[in-house]
Order: sequence, then C-alpha cells, then structure tokens
Amino acid sequence: MSIMSYNGGSVVAMVGKNCVAIASDLRLGSQALTVATDFQKIFPVTDRIFLGLPGLATDVLTLKERFRFRVNMYTIKEEREIEPETFAHLVSSTLYERRFGPYFVEPVIAGLGKDNKPFIAATDLIGCLTLPKDFAVSGTASDKMFGVAEGLWEPDLEPEDLFETISQTLMNAVDRDAYSGWGAIVHVITPDKVITRTLKSRMD
Amino acid sequence: MECSFGLVGKGYTLIASDTNSARSIVKMKNDEDKIKVLTPHLCMAYSGEAGDTVQFAEYVERNLRLHQIRHYTELRPPSSAAWIRRVLADSLRSRKPYQVNLLLGGYDTSDDTPHLYWIDYLGTMAKVPFAAHGYGAYFALSTLDRYHDPTADLEQGLETLKRCIEEVQKRLIVGLPKWNVKIIDQDGVRELEI
Amino acid sequence: MTRLVQIEHALAAVSSGTTSLGIKASNGIVIATEKKSSSILVDDSMIEKVSIICPNIGIVYSGMGPDFRVLVAKARKSAQAYWKIYGEYPPTRVLTQEIATVMQEATQSGGVRPFGVSLLVAGYDTNRGPTLYQVDPSGSFWAWKASAIGKNMTNAKTFLEKRYNDDISLEDAIHTALLTLKEGFEGQMTEKTIEIGVVTVPAAAELVPEVGGRIKPSFRKLTEEEVRDYLAL
Repeated sequence: MSIMSYNGGSVVAMVGKNCVAIASDLRLGSQALTVATDFQKIFPVTDRIFLGLPGLATDVLTLKERFRFRVNMYTIKEEREIEPETFAHLVSSTLYERRFGPYFVEPVIAGLGKDNKPFIAATDLIGCLTLPKDFAVSGTASDKMFGVAEGLWEPDLEPEDLFETISQTLMNAVDRDAYSGWGAIVHVITPDKVITRTLKSRMD
Repeated sequence: MECSFGLVGKGYTLIASDTNSARSIVKMKNDEDKIKVLTPHLCMAYSGEAGDTVQFAEYVERNLRLHQIRHYTELRPPSSAAWIRRVLADSLRSRKPYQVNLLLGGYDTSDDTPHLYWIDYLGTMAKVPFAAHGYGAYFALSTLDRYHDPTADLEQGLETLKRCIEEVQKRLIVGLPKWNVKIIDQDGVRELEI
Repeated sequence: MTRLVQIEHALAAVSSGTTSLGIKASNGIVIATEKKSSSILVDDSMIEKVSIICPNIGIVYSGMGPDFRVLVAKARKSAQAYWKIYGEYPPTRVLTQEIATVMQEATQSGGVRPFGVSLLVAGYDTNRGPTLYQVDPSGSFWAWKASAIGKNMTNAKTFLEKRYNDDISLEDAIHTALLTLKEGFEGQMTEKTIEIGVVTVPAAAELVPEVGGRIKPSFRKLTEEEVRDYLAL
C-alpha cells in the first residue's frame, strides 16, 4: 500500500494548437472504498493556468490553498498575473521546500503563456520539473494513460479535437484503474475562453 | 469497531453514532455520547484513538466558541469544516498526530442549506450527501447508494438511517445495540429516538 | 522625532557624496557617476560604484561607500532568492521595493542608523521594459525618466530638465550623462574617474534562452576603453 495511491485519482494534460487541455477523474477513495464521486483535483490558478494535483487528498487540499496564497501574493506584489513557466517553478520550489517530508502529490500544470504559447509541465512529489512538448500524465492511472496518450495524441489539434483526445485518453485509462474513475472533468484552455465539461463515465 | 453515519435530507442533516466505549476486548460503557454539539447549528461525530477523540472534539468546540465570542457570529459550516480539516492536516505532520475521524453535520441558517462533511484523521475532507466511518462504511454505503434521497423528508431520512443501522447490526460480527442520533435543521440540534 | 533627524543626517551624507545620475532613453538606460579618490596613491581600478545586482539590474549610489556595499550584498542575495523560487530574476520594481524595504527598516529599528546613501536602480524586465528608480535613505522610491543624486544634484537636475526629451537614444543619453557630470566636475574627467552602466532592451529572440543556456544580460558596465571613446567624442 503506497501513500500515493491511498485516495486514488489521475490527471492528464495535453498540448494542442494554440490551446491546452487538462483533465482528471472525480473519485475520492479510502483505499478500495469510494467516499466521494465529485472530488476536484484540478484548480484554476489564473484565467489561463490550471493546476492538477493527484495524490494524497489531504495534501491536495492543503496545496491548493498554499498555491492560492502564494499566487495571490505574487499578483499583488508584481502587479501582474503569473506566467505558466514562472508558476511551474513556484510549484517546483514549493514542493522542494519539503524535500525530507514531502507532500504526496505529483502536480500537472497546463496553461497558455505569452502570445498564447501552450505550456504543460509535471513534477514529482519533491518538485523535479519535466517539460514535455506533447502530454503529461500523473496519478494512479498514469501508466495506462501513457499508453493511450501515446497512441491517440498528435500535434496541432484544434480545441474540439484536443477535447476528444484527452477525454478518450483519460476515460479509457481510468476504466482499467480501480482507484480512478467515477466521472471526469475536462478543461480546454483557448486564447479567448476556457471550455469546461464534466463527463459521465463508468460508475463502477 | 466504532461506527458512524450521516446523511442529508430536505432541510436537515442526520448524524448517528454507536454508543460503545471499549478498551481492547472489554466494553467499558454503552451509553457514551460520541456526537459533540459544536455550535447551535453544527455537530460532529468523532471516532478513533481513545483519548485523542475527546481531546480533539473539545479543542474544536472551544475554538469555535472563541470565534463566536470574538466576532459575535458563528462560523458557517463550510468554514468550520475547512478550519477543522486544517487542524488535522497540520497535526498529521506533527510529532503525534490526532487519530480522529469525523462526520460534520451542520445547517447554514444564512442560506438555509444542510451540510455534511466527511473528514478523516489525515485531513481529507469531502462534502457529501451521505457518509460513514468505521466498518459500518463497508455495509452502509451501498445501502445509502440505493436508498438515499436528498429531497426526502425527515421520516424517510430516518427510515434510510435505520436501514443502515440494521444492516450493520445484522452483518457486522460485533453487535452495536445502542445508537445516538442527532438532527441538525433550522431549529438547531436535537437528539432523536430511534 | 529623533528618527526624522537621523534621516536628515543621512540625506546630508548623500548630498555631500559624489554626483550620480541616470537617464532613461527610448532604447535603454544609462547610469553614471564620478569616482573620486582621496589620494593619488589609491588604486582606483578597484573602486566600484556601479554594481551589477543580477543580469538585468544594476545600481549606482551617492553617499557612504560602506553602506552601499552592504546594500549591494543584500540586493544580490534577494535577487538570487527570487531566482530560486521563480526560475527567473526579479523585475526592477520588485527588487527596488525589496531594497527600499531594507532601507526603511533601518529608519524604524533599534540600534541601527539609516543607510547614508541614495540609489539609482536601472533594470530591464519583460513586464515594464527598461525602468529607472531612485531610492532614498527614508526608504521611499520613485520611477524617473532622468534623475541625479549627490553633491550636484540640484544643478544636474536642472541641466537634465533642459536636455531631456522622450525619444532620446541611448547613445545620446550617454553623452548627455557625461555632459551633465562635466558641469560640476572637479578635476579631469577620464575613464579612470567616470563609471557608466547601461541597460539595453533585448530583441524578442534574445529573451528565449538556448537549451541549458542563459539569457543574455541586459545590464552591463562600460569598460574603461568604451568610456574613453565616449569621452573622446
């Protein structure tokens, strides 16, 4: 039994053409027992950045609050909104601060930067950054999502196609994972709006 | 083998807990009230490590009271839940964490909505329509999946709650004969006989 | 009340210090100062009055040298701390605010005296572009198009007011800076007695670092050769 899979949950992010998408399941479990089916793991950081936090649920909630605090302080001090690259570094350094007693989450970041440049990133639980150019997966179904995403993803997808790709990737992976599933939520970030859809999936 | 249930109905939240107090294999007491009334419209069923439970419940109770004294207003259920969760989450990474699981039932008088929060000793929190802690969770959650109705009146709600308790009494190897049930609605907290 | 007098003393220390100035141009900023040594025996190549804080920010001072050195150390540390969190160097305004806070705290804490310096902070960031700030011993700071501090500040400012216009080029600004310094200069103005720092606006392509590489610095100090060439013109 690993702490990382005590509550279950998965997040995936993908790059499209002038857009990015991030999606997660909605399960909250206590090992094999499902406690809630509307547990959000993805949180808005700015209008153009989202943060996904799969892992130990108590740390998901604590970190969501910590990042809200630190981003609010940044926005006030700098008199501007944080850029995705900068936020990714903030995530990394916040996690590394707890190097020898970590928060048990492996975050995924998705956002649009200057000139609507798509940005995705993922870190491990102690803040080691990876900056993939295609997709990032994390959580209890990450191994499965790697496989599906590898097969479905292609470059320069338009928002609607990206939505379909990320939804299929997530749902087909979590359906094979006992610790993830019970519905899903998808955010597609485009230059002028964020499209958010909740998906019905297998509820078993 | 402690057990607690909670469910939300139309304009009320129900919370039930067994009344056993046991040390090892010995039942020390069978009329222990393990649901603390925190504020006029908020109460909390607690279970877990003996000693930690009452200590923690009283700590929360006194702090919510202090908040009322300082601000002349009660903390609303979502804010209370968030504060209690934070105490547990901070405690988790301390030298000796509180080992307490909670069900928090409340009624928000400012927008007339019933609330129920499932919180465990790790500081995991979920706002739920129904919940359970202990071994009872493994029996009662499927019963609640089948029978729970958020628009049910009190009579129907109690009926569902009784089903859960009966399920536990029938299938769990340990008998839990006596139960303590509290309702939280616009009139505040009351104890109910079942 | 005592505190206010202390700040008066600090300002007096600034006013008796050597003149420094800064001019914001359309494509960059110049900061310059005269550096005078008390004896010909001093090795003036080792005196540094224009300091690089981080690759995008530099500062110059008028007033007490040792106080400046302490502030430079604090500013550099603050810039590196920022880099450790955000993976980039601080915007000019944020760093200026940080220095100003350090200076303000010296006016309110027990057992310390205010810093006897005024600073000109010049830097570039993607958010605000090139910006020039002045920080005083009280901890107050302002953004300037052009400003002067130190012994000759009043005359220098009047001079700058006459010469300044919004679309002055960096090259012209450097000449104006030298001309302004010349006004109140005692002795010979040479590459040994002048220090110049410049902020240049990087092209968009220069802002993207190569893989594993660094972004080109946008603040740099002019070498003695460069200063000599400007003086010759």
